[in-house]
Amino acid sequence: MIQLFRMAFRDLGRNRRRTFFSILALAMGLALLILMASFINGEMSSAMDTTIKLQSGHLQLRQQNYDETKASLKWENLIEDPAQVTRQIATLEPVIAASARLFASGIVASRDQSTGVQIVGIEPDSITNNPYREGLVSGEFLTAGDRDGILIGRPLSEKMGLQVGDQINLTANTSNGDVSDQLFTIRGIYSTETRVFDSAIVFLPLEKAQAMTGTENHASTIFVLLKDKDQTDAVVNALQTSRYKILTWTKMNEVIIQTENLSNAYMSLFYLIVLGVTATVIINTLIMAVFERTREIGIFSAIGMRSRRIMAMFLAESSLLAIGGILLGLVLGALAVAYLERNGFYIGNMAVGGGGFLIRDTVYAKFSLEGTINVTIMAFIVTMLAGLYPAALAARMEPVEALRAEK
Amino acid sequence: MKFYFRLAWRNLWRHKRRTIIVAVAMALGLGLMMFYDGLIAGFDQAIYGNAIKVLGGNIQIHAEGYNTELGQNPLLPLPDDQAVVLAALSEPLVESATRRIITGGLLTSPEGAFGVNIIGIEPEKELGVNLAAQHIATGRYLSQDDGDMIFIGQGLAEAMDVGVGDRITMVGRSTHDQMRQRTMTVAGMYDLGMPEYEKGTVYVSLGEAQSLFDLAGQSTEVAVVLKQLGTEPKVISALEPLLPGYEIDTWRNNYPELLAAITTKNGVMNIFGVIILLIAGIGILNLLLMAVYERTREIGLLGAMGLKPRQISILFILEGTLMGLVGVAAGIAFGLFINGLIRLVGLDFSAMTSATEYMALISGRIYPTWGLEKLLGRALTVAIIAALAALIPASEAARREPAEALHHV
Repeated sequence: MIQLFRMAFRDLGRNRRRTFFSILALAMGLALLILMASFINGEMSSAMDTTIKLQSGHLQLRQQNYDETKASLKWENLIEDPAQVTRQIATLEPVIAASARLFASGIVASRDQSTGVQIVGIEPDSITNNPYREGLVSGEFLTAGDRDGILIGRPLSEKMGLQVGDQINLTANTSNGDVSDQLFTIRGIYSTETRVFDSAIVFLPLEKAQAMTGTENHASTIFVLLKDKDQTDAVVNALQTSRYKILTWTKMNEVIIQTENLSNAYMSLFYLIVLGVTATVIINTLIMAVFERTREIGIFSAIGMRSRRIMAMFLAESSLLAIGGILLGLVLGALAVAYLERNGFYIGNMAVGGGGFLIRDTVYAKFSLEGTINVTIMAFIVTMLAGLYPAALAARMEPVEALRAEK
Repeated sequence: MKFYFRLAWRNLWRHKRRTIIVAVAMALGLGLMMFYDGLIAGFDQAIYGNAIKVLGGNIQIHAEGYNTELGQNPLLPLPDDQAVVLAALSEPLVESATRRIITGGLLTSPEGAFGVNIIGIEPEKELGVNLAAQHIATGRYLSQDDGDMIFIGQGLAEAMDVGVGDRITMVGRSTHDQMRQRTMTVAGMYDLGMPEYEKGTVYVSLGEAQSLFDLAGQSTEVAVVLKQLGTEPKVISALEPLLPGYEIDTWRNNYPELLAAITTKNGVMNIFGVIILLIAGIGILNLLLMAVYERTREIGLLGAMGLKPRQISILFILEGTLMGLVGVAAGIAFGLFINGLIRLVGLDFSAMTSATEYMALISGRIYPTWGLEKLLGRALTVAIIAALAALIPASEAARREPAEALHHV
């Protein structure tokens, strides 16, 4: 066995340049695939993290008949006395924080422009709002008692030419199906670097939002953050309530998981084509090696080497090529991934997201161990399969004819 | 030169198997790119058709400054909309030109509230070209003197739980910075098979919109429907001198994110395509290195007969390029095969329709085109990479000393 590999190694060394280029072809293919796997991984895990942080949380409690596509403000669709529910949830051990939120639809108008927004009433002091507080680019965060302050996103402020201290007119729907409008002063401008979120969401203090929409002491949802997202099920069990509907982050973000599965399915096609191309390079290299050594193969079989062993010799060669290509490919792939992990790829102008999931304006690759292992194994298998045909060709040669071959 | 071609072509087929394997590699790369081009073009067409339907025409004419206004759909009236309509109708390629008012607003009912685009239309004039008018699910379409009547999408009606004859509150903003609130009665519902889009668009009569938004006798857009797709550039260039100071756009300008998304994806795909072809190019490189070695004596002979080193290297570069072109031919066949196959079934993207505003315009399956849009450029890329791959072997062949090469056994 060892002898076999030693011979294969020497044979590969007989035409170093060709061997190097074959290895390079395999390495380039593998590196490309690793990069793509890591990119999708980065995009999707960042989408999940961003969506949990900004929009879904780990858990949300809602009234049984609340329909989130409608943003209804009817009292029977809302959670009554949210402060008490929030206090109860906060006593559970895995919970970092729970906070009431109220959703309403509205229009922001200033001078000659107007645009539709989603209004979110928040409890300003809760740490669930840290992503927005830390994302402040100018002005101040809201305070609980503020009666005419509003927090808007940077894209919205740029689109409408607004600054901190400017006044805007906000219209919102109310619990009885009517609308109310009022002037607000912009207290602060935030950016979460997620364009679809920032341009559509404006924040009010919860009490003000309740007063404006006629939903005193009610909330649309209780937003819950956990210490560890794996504890979700434990908390769901501990809550055991029939009054409220409990939504987990997996349930709320199903569309992200579906999208990830879909991209992975499309990628498999891509993998096959890239590896198919590298396989042809390997096949050709080995076919050439077989024909160069026709006489040699004749001698081997003339002195009694079995065709299975001749075949094994060429398979050993292709496995060495595979290993070399994989090692170089891992290095190239790791370098490319490291570059995109640091520098990212700007997609903010594409305005992806909105249908329930959020992608940040810049996507960073995230090294995907699982993806890398998968494509590495696939590359090895494809290379070995590519080696089968030349090896069979060598094994099938008639000793006498092979010996007579010219040269 | 013809002589070199013949020689290179014959050399190419001396080892059929090797050449075919390399051609397969090139074909896989090119076929993948054709598949991708076909898919993007298929998206483009699907969105194109629907975008024209929902934008109310192939071409939109707005007042100067409309697109640079910061907000979406500003209430910026056209200085002389009748003149614009007349100018557009004077073009023989134009089917219809109608005045519209488009603005953002909010619809509320006790069930909830929805942000929508409110479109004021001239109902009778649009009857022949407005797809919503032609796809009435229940109730009736609008008429010119309809006050306080609204025509909404089936998707919205379901979400708001309203039926024909029910009342909903519509809120919009007039030009004078006041919120306008009006109770509207649902006249009818349309169904275009695009639920996401339907949720976001409602129609009222132009007269109603004019009074609601303080635009008496005015409009903010003229929507032009053409008799034939693809004649947009011709009509635009004919209209531009007639309507100086107006902004004349096609649907593409109305979806800047779509354009950005396609450009970015194309850029990424070009890079991937070139990398895949480079890998296939390595196959050509290896093969020709082998050929140079095999034909050492031949090369010596050619040199002895007086062929200059440069001419010998041309021979090998030609051989490499031809190999690439054989790959192109096989790749076209492969690409047509894949695209033809997918055209039969289509790809289901309906799950993604809520992802972006423009994806809402996709009504279900995407059928790729044949993928021939960028074929010339793609084929050229293959040929260039193949020629580059032949450079090293070619220079090696050219460097051989005739006498030594002849002695080679």
